[in-house]
Amino acid sequence: MPTTFFGWVGFLLEQYGGLFLSGTGMTLLIALTGTIFGFAIGLLVAIVRTIEIPRGMGLFKRALRKIAHMLIAVYIQIFRGTPMIVQAMVIYYGSMQYLGIDMERTVAAILIISINTGAYMAEIIRGGIISVDKGQFEAAHAIGMTHWQTMTTVVLPQAIRNILPSVGNELIVNIKDSSVLNVISVSELFFQAKSAAGTYYKYFEVFFIIAVIYLILTVTVSRILRFVEKKMDGPDNYVICGSQSDSRSEIIVSKEQEKEVDRQWQSK
Amino acid sequence: MAEQVIEIRDLHKAFGSHEVLKGIDFTASKGEVVCIIGSSGSGKSTLLRCINLLENPDKGEIRYHGKDILTDETVNMPQYHAKVGMVFQQFNLFGNMNVLENCMTGQMKVLGRSREESMENAMKYLRKVGMEAYVGAKPRQLSGGPKQRVAIARTLAMDPEVILFDEPTSALDPEMVGEVLAVMQNLAQEGMTMLVVTHEMGFARAVASKVVFMDQGVIAEEGTPDEVLGSPKHERLQSFLRSML
Repeated sequence: MPTTFFGWVGFLLEQYGGLFLSGTGMTLLIALTGTIFGFAIGLLVAIVRTIEIPRGMGLFKRALRKIAHMLIAVYIQIFRGTPMIVQAMVIYYGSMQYLGIDMERTVAAILIISINTGAYMAEIIRGGIISVDKGQFEAAHAIGMTHWQTMTTVVLPQAIRNILPSVGNELIVNIKDSSVLNVISVSELFFQAKSAAGTYYKYFEVFFIIAVIYLILTVTVSRILRFVEKKMDGPDNYVICGSQSDSRSEIIVSKEQEKEVDRQWQSK
Repeated sequence: MAEQVIEIRDLHKAFGSHEVLKGIDFTASKGEVVCIIGSSGSGKSTLLRCINLLENPDKGEIRYHGKDILTDETVNMPQYHAKVGMVFQQFNLFGNMNVLENCMTGQMKVLGRSREESMENAMKYLRKVGMEAYVGAKPRQLSGGPKQRVAIARTLAMDPEVILFDEPTSALDPEMVGEVLAVMQNLAQEGMTMLVVTHEMGFARAVASKVVFMDQGVIAEEGTPDEVLGSPKHERLQSFLRSML
């Protein structure tokens, strides 16, 4: 048996490396799919909430819209207002005892994270839509685009860019908070760690390793997200096509140079 | 007499209990440039926004080639929007698209044009406003004047019959007002029908075929630039013109 701290860490890694790895995989799977589905739920909810009443909309449709809004409000309130660990217990055991559905644990975990994340995403995406200035909606309508066309081609691409940091936050939160799903015995990282630690009563050593793994995951994810943001923004400079002397030439300008070119254009 | 393109009858609009338009009657014929002047809060912008249906009027008629767009079911709304273009004070370019895409997307989505045709058409109008070199630039990389020129090209690319200008130079630095007005003057000379809400009296004098003075939700005076700006009858118009000097 090892005698030092690092001796134990090495030993445990050797013994349970595979277990930790599979736990990491499960954690990533739950967190990623949960965030993606949660995002989809949030998107749907946000679009429904931003539909404006067109002229001459019937009473039935108005009522339908009202009911949809109420359901959405209740959904968001409940799932933001209770801890995910409690939601997990209620949904998993509730559906087993009263609906007779014995859910696959992984499926249950993804379901719970998705619904929970969806409630947060709905608000985040709504904020993103509001952040796109109203003038662009109007300009799109003014050239004849429908609400759907306006949303998909003009508003959502910008809204999503604006909320990317918050969405990334949700993903990171999900990587960490999926650990509470050990209460329904999903074989994610925390659950695997608990079983490994119990064998030799080496809680500190095992959870030290687990902490490092979580940290590596979250740091990597935030780096990737930062990169994606930069990619989406495109370059700061842009290319001017065709100078006066040679139409094939390209000139790269920055904002300052652009002002200069503009002054020249005016003086012509 | 030239063909009437836009004809407005007894148009009313209120925001809550505040009545902004109190019965507007007015017509614009083909090729006419109508400048709408008046102090802020007089309902000029609301009038334009009603014509474009960005606001729903409470009462009245907006006739486009004789058809009332508020009641006539045979009017195809997207087509109407394409035919009656609008240029905004705040440009409102689509921030996620570059200059060229801004001018193409409406053509493809609303008019169903092919990518090639849209691009060709967009380039034609970008050249017209002197922005063809900037096709790859994003709106945030441009300053006000160039942005507004792109916005005009975006509207032109839909091949409109009428263009509504809602204070197109009010958000610009003074040094950039001229370039936008030059583009507009050019359009007017080519026979485009234009309704222009503006504070540029020089432009109104030089380019307008008709000047409309709005005051407190009604048209207080209208006529040729010489009549309205040269010898104003209405007392409020006189004081408004004095304040513009």
